[in-house]
Amino acid sequence: MKLTKMMLLINFLLAAPVFPQDLTTTVLGIPAELKENANSVIRNQEVSVEIKSISQMVIKTLKTITVFNEYGIRNIDAVEYFDQTTTIKNIEAIVYDSLGKELKKIKRKDFSDYSVAGDASDVSDTRVLKLNYTPTEYPFTIVYQSEVQTSNTAFIPTWYPIDDYFESVQRSVFKISYPSHLGFKYKEMDFGDKKIVKHETTNSLQYSIENLVAEKHEEYAPSKPVHVLFGLDKFMLEGVEGSAKSWKEFGLWMNEKLLKESTELPLETQNRIKTLVANETDPLKKAAIVYRFVQNKTRYVSIQLGIGGWKPMPAKNVDRLGYGDCKALSNYTKALLDVVGVPSYYTVIYGGERRDILEDFVSMQGNHAVLSLPYKNKMIFLECTSQTQAFGFEGDFTDDRVALLIKPEGGELVRTNKYIDKDNAQVTNGKIVIHEDGSMKMEAQISYTGIQYDTMTRFELLPLKETKDHYKERWSYVNNLTIDDLRFVNDKENVKFNETIKISVPEFVKKTGADKMLLLNVLNQNYKTPQRYRNRKKQFEIDKGYYDEDIIDIELPQSEKVIAKPENVNLETKFGTYSTEILFLEANKIQYKRKLLIKKGLYSVEEYEEFRKFREQIAKNDNSKLVLQSNK
Amino acid sequence: MKNFFIILSILATSGGFSQKVELGNVTVQELEEKKHPKDTSAVAAILFKKGTTQFVYNSTKGFSTETKVDIKIKIYKKQGYDWANHAVRYYLEGSSKESLYFSNAVTYNLVNNKIVKTKLKSDGEFDEKVSRFWGQKKIMMPDVKEGSIIEFSYKLISPNYGSFKDWDFQTSIPINYCEYTTYIPEYFKYNTHIKGHLTPKVELDQRENNYQGTYQEMVNSAGGFRSERGTYNIKFQESIAKYTISNVPALKDENFVNNISNYMVILQHELSSVRMPERPFENYSTDWETICSKIYQSDSFGSELSKTGYFENEINQLLNGVTVKDQKIGLIFSYVKEYMNWNGYHDYYCHDGVKEAFKKKSGNVAEINLMLVAMLRYAGIEANPILVSSRSNGIALYPSRNAFDYVIAGIEIENDVILLDATDKNSVPDVLPHRAINWNGRLIRKNGSSTSVNLSPKFISKEATNIMANLTSEGIVEGKIFIQKNAHDAFNFRSKYGKVNTDNYLEILEKRYGNAEISEYKVDNKTDLSKPVIETFSFKTNNEIEKVADKLYISPLFFFVMSENPFKQEVRDYPIDFSYPDQDKFLSIINIPDGYVVESIPTSANLIFGDDIAGFKYIINTNGKQIQVTSVLDIKTNIISPEDYADFKMFFNEIVKKQTEKIVLKKA
Repeated sequence: MKLTKMMLLINFLLAAPVFPQDLTTTVLGIPAELKENANSVIRNQEVSVEIKSISQMVIKTLKTITVFNEYGIRNIDAVEYFDQTTTIKNIEAIVYDSLGKELKKIKRKDFSDYSVAGDASDVSDTRVLKLNYTPTEYPFTIVYQSEVQTSNTAFIPTWYPIDDYFESVQRSVFKISYPSHLGFKYKEMDFGDKKIVKHETTNSLQYSIENLVAEKHEEYAPSKPVHVLFGLDKFMLEGVEGSAKSWKEFGLWMNEKLLKESTELPLETQNRIKTLVANETDPLKKAAIVYRFVQNKTRYVSIQLGIGGWKPMPAKNVDRLGYGDCKALSNYTKALLDVVGVPSYYTVIYGGERRDILEDFVSMQGNHAVLSLPYKNKMIFLECTSQTQAFGFEGDFTDDRVALLIKPEGGELVRTNKYIDKDNAQVTNGKIVIHEDGSMKMEAQISYTGIQYDTMTRFELLPLKETKDHYKERWSYVNNLTIDDLRFVNDKENVKFNETIKISVPEFVKKTGADKMLLLNVLNQNYKTPQRYRNRKKQFEIDKGYYDEDIIDIELPQSEKVIAKPENVNLETKFGTYSTEILFLEANKIQYKRKLLIKKGLYSVEEYEEFRKFREQIAKNDNSKLVLQSNK
Repeated sequence: MKNFFIILSILATSGGFSQKVELGNVTVQELEEKKHPKDTSAVAAILFKKGTTQFVYNSTKGFSTETKVDIKIKIYKKQGYDWANHAVRYYLEGSSKESLYFSNAVTYNLVNNKIVKTKLKSDGEFDEKVSRFWGQKKIMMPDVKEGSIIEFSYKLISPNYGSFKDWDFQTSIPINYCEYTTYIPEYFKYNTHIKGHLTPKVELDQRENNYQGTYQEMVNSAGGFRSERGTYNIKFQESIAKYTISNVPALKDENFVNNISNYMVILQHELSSVRMPERPFENYSTDWETICSKIYQSDSFGSELSKTGYFENEINQLLNGVTVKDQKIGLIFSYVKEYMNWNGYHDYYCHDGVKEAFKKKSGNVAEINLMLVAMLRYAGIEANPILVSSRSNGIALYPSRNAFDYVIAGIEIENDVILLDATDKNSVPDVLPHRAINWNGRLIRKNGSSTSVNLSPKFISKEATNIMANLTSEGIVEGKIFIQKNAHDAFNFRSKYGKVNTDNYLEILEKRYGNAEISEYKVDNKTDLSKPVIETFSFKTNNEIEKVADKLYISPLFFFVMSENPFKQEVRDYPIDFSYPDQDKFLSIINIPDGYVVESIPTSANLIFGDDIAGFKYIINTNGKQIQVTSVLDIKTNIISPEDYADFKMFFNEIVKKQTEKIVLKKA
């Protein structure tokens, strides 16, 4: 929800050229290995980007794709975006049957034309032309051609020869030409062992790749597609000339052209915020007051019109309207902090899935803005679009990645804070009382920190009924569970979420012949196990890691005795540790202890099965039971 | 439609109702309110929503409707901030172009016990072109905080009095008071329908009104044509209908609901006739019969049915030598399903026409299914179109053209109608795609007469699973599984997994079956729609037996056990909709390992939930070496009423309890 126009433009892959029509449109020419696991095959993709001047770029796309089934339709990607600075000169497609016979010509007027804006909180002037075709038979082949002209040279299409699972590529070529004085540059990413042919001249560069086989999606696999980024030291953005020789210089340019003069505030607001922080001397405490002030005054909306997609709305407008996007709200917070003498920096970052601003490739990057606050030797990051987030807490939207600070002396890269392993903890203390009729009542205190805190804070915002429904899903393995009481305290100061919960379950103790079974782990079963693969291909990654600790006291009625208990377990692996322990405190009092640590890490494909077995053992142990018998 | 009536000007006074509910009357008390008094979880509430629709006349453009709406909203919580942004759509194209204006947009806050007003300026208003046909204006209210009240008005002028906009009395937040008044001149007659589970109060009245203005026309007089100005004043009777309702609760969606908007309180208008002075009476809709016959007479429906030239060669060839009626039906139905491709659009009218669709091999619902009817008729079969309201269109409760959005084919046989829908490749006779199973449709015969047809499946879809399992003393289960799926169960399987390759499907299956290893997988009749889908495979797992001390505990249905109740909500407002009656049957034969004896097995059970609603049978036996279990769940109807919900949930609890009971084996 917090993404800006930047996201949209960066992610539109490969728009581009017209090459000779010597391509195969029959399916006969597709090598067998490219058909395996493929819903579609890119037969030939040729993108040519011609940078004619600082303010003129022409992108020509020719894409021939064979689609085998309905799942492959999404890979046709016959779509172009446009606005005041970007014009679609030409767009068309021809559909062929499996023998290469023409089925249909699709002209520009047959493409759907619509706005990218969404609901009432989202305004944008970007529009889209998209192919809308109902296949009449499979396989079929589409030859798509487009030509797009733009005066923006801040964003040059990235070459992604393959951009989806279950898609293979027979041939993909990317050509780019440029005038020598603009400081053309490029960066090759994740080439691995792929055979890529590169051809470079003084003012052009070409990449090509052939016969990339389709890949399957595998759980826990990091996504690392081959791609090449392109950029210019001197570029044009919505009529504003920009400079990106170094991050320092780029930062100076942003300050000068996009941020300067947008931090002015009305006197009344200046006085108000000064009064609010008057009794504080510590800059961090002042900042916390300002942050709360912003949270109570503003809301997030997305307004992306022209240069407004990159330049924050002036602080005085935010002050009057009480809303803005990530840029506007970060800038507004900065303006207020300036008034009370706390230094802060407007910060460009990728929000959402982890992605770094690349240190050795200076260009317009990022899709989100936050505010950085230097404090002692640390840097604190403020998410200004949230009305509820704890001060200084990043959560997994912006944690652990490289961001760009815009300082008065220029740009500077910094890594945001991370939450790993034991930072992300869930600690449960509970007491279960079992009644003679087999029913139970349980009361527990659970506290969450780190990313587990982040996950829980959203419940604070939901109506209680929806939260209860969610909890019933979370504990769905306990039949007929009733939540009698549920209370939260969001301790924002310590970034800790404290929860007190009371539940009851009739017929909790299960009669099984003469025995009775009692489930030990009621609130925290790790019952989902990773997918088993016959032939896994990819390495795997545990993104953050976490730690859970449970201490549960169980009180049995006098009428029952324990006749068997599960063995204590202690598993130690490179992926983490798991242990359970059952203690008899008194005749009828038992304590169940459980600790689980999952560690962040990147592991090889060979280690996956070991990890899966570890998780399977956890799942099995988490479902273990005490066996009871009646004394009578 | 210029100057159709000119008389001398007589001022007509407009009557009207006393109005206390007005914009601009915000009180301190309202601003101080922290929670909605009736729904404490409400993030915001509409304090009132008030609207009027009047007809205006313009000598060049004719009649337009002018709808004015005033809204006052209280924001209680930050999660309700979305209610401070509003978007209203308007039509852009050609002579149907509409105009939309926002006004009076103000935010009220309480600051130091004083009411502070902040007006919306032009920088908070946006005009967007959504598509070629639709524009949208958006407002983002300024200075909104928890506790704020926002107000705004908008006016929509539309020449499209033929498609009068619906008025919603309900939304996802509470509405304290809602009022809507229509002023309809005597020339227009509308049928009105109120949908939903609450009924607004209706007050009817009449008044005299007039239109006046100037016009210009060319007059032939001495010396040739000249332009002459005139004035007109038209007097007419106007019907007033005022709808009011208070305390409308928030509408909340639930699982297993057909389409939540079926239950939303909405007022709909349908133009039934127009009687302009000096013009013929035009009748649009009155009852189902009339509506159906009108639709039938339309060029995009009836005439499309009578075209045959485009397919005659193909059908002659297809039916060459075939004389049996059922065979003809089967061949034609399969032919249309195979040959044609649905473009995703619903409609009972053709868009490009059947001929063009046939040529392109793709079309909307009407093109495909009217083509099917035409081909069947050509082959001498008494086929007819059936108008349907798809699930997304809601249930067709009142006679109106908008009640339908879909059409299928039907063949009347003795006491029954065979239903056919060729838009889905996996559909077979009487197994309609889920979207088309929605209460009743309306069959239209050649002579234009029509009759209601029940679309709910008449038979039970069955799925039977046989498990042969051998246990080992190490806690491993190995065996074979055989699953047979019929009717809708087969349809669902084919739709969901028909195109998924076996490797990927097995991964899905293994995940579903608790990571059991699956081998020797085979599926029969994946594409032969006339037969049930049959899956057979071997499995092996060490996740299904619990070993405690010297005992083994086993769930007799292994990973097929219903381990949790699908119904978790405590109370329910709307019916449960299962789409089709269903039977789920398991037969499990378990061989116990050497060295173990049966200590106990669960008891058999038989539960009945009403004679015609649902039943559950669980039978278990053992001979000491082998245990045999049969578990059958019958859902005999597709709709369960909310009154039965609590009991129905209990019924499922009992099933879960029974199926999760364990067999206990002990070392001999």
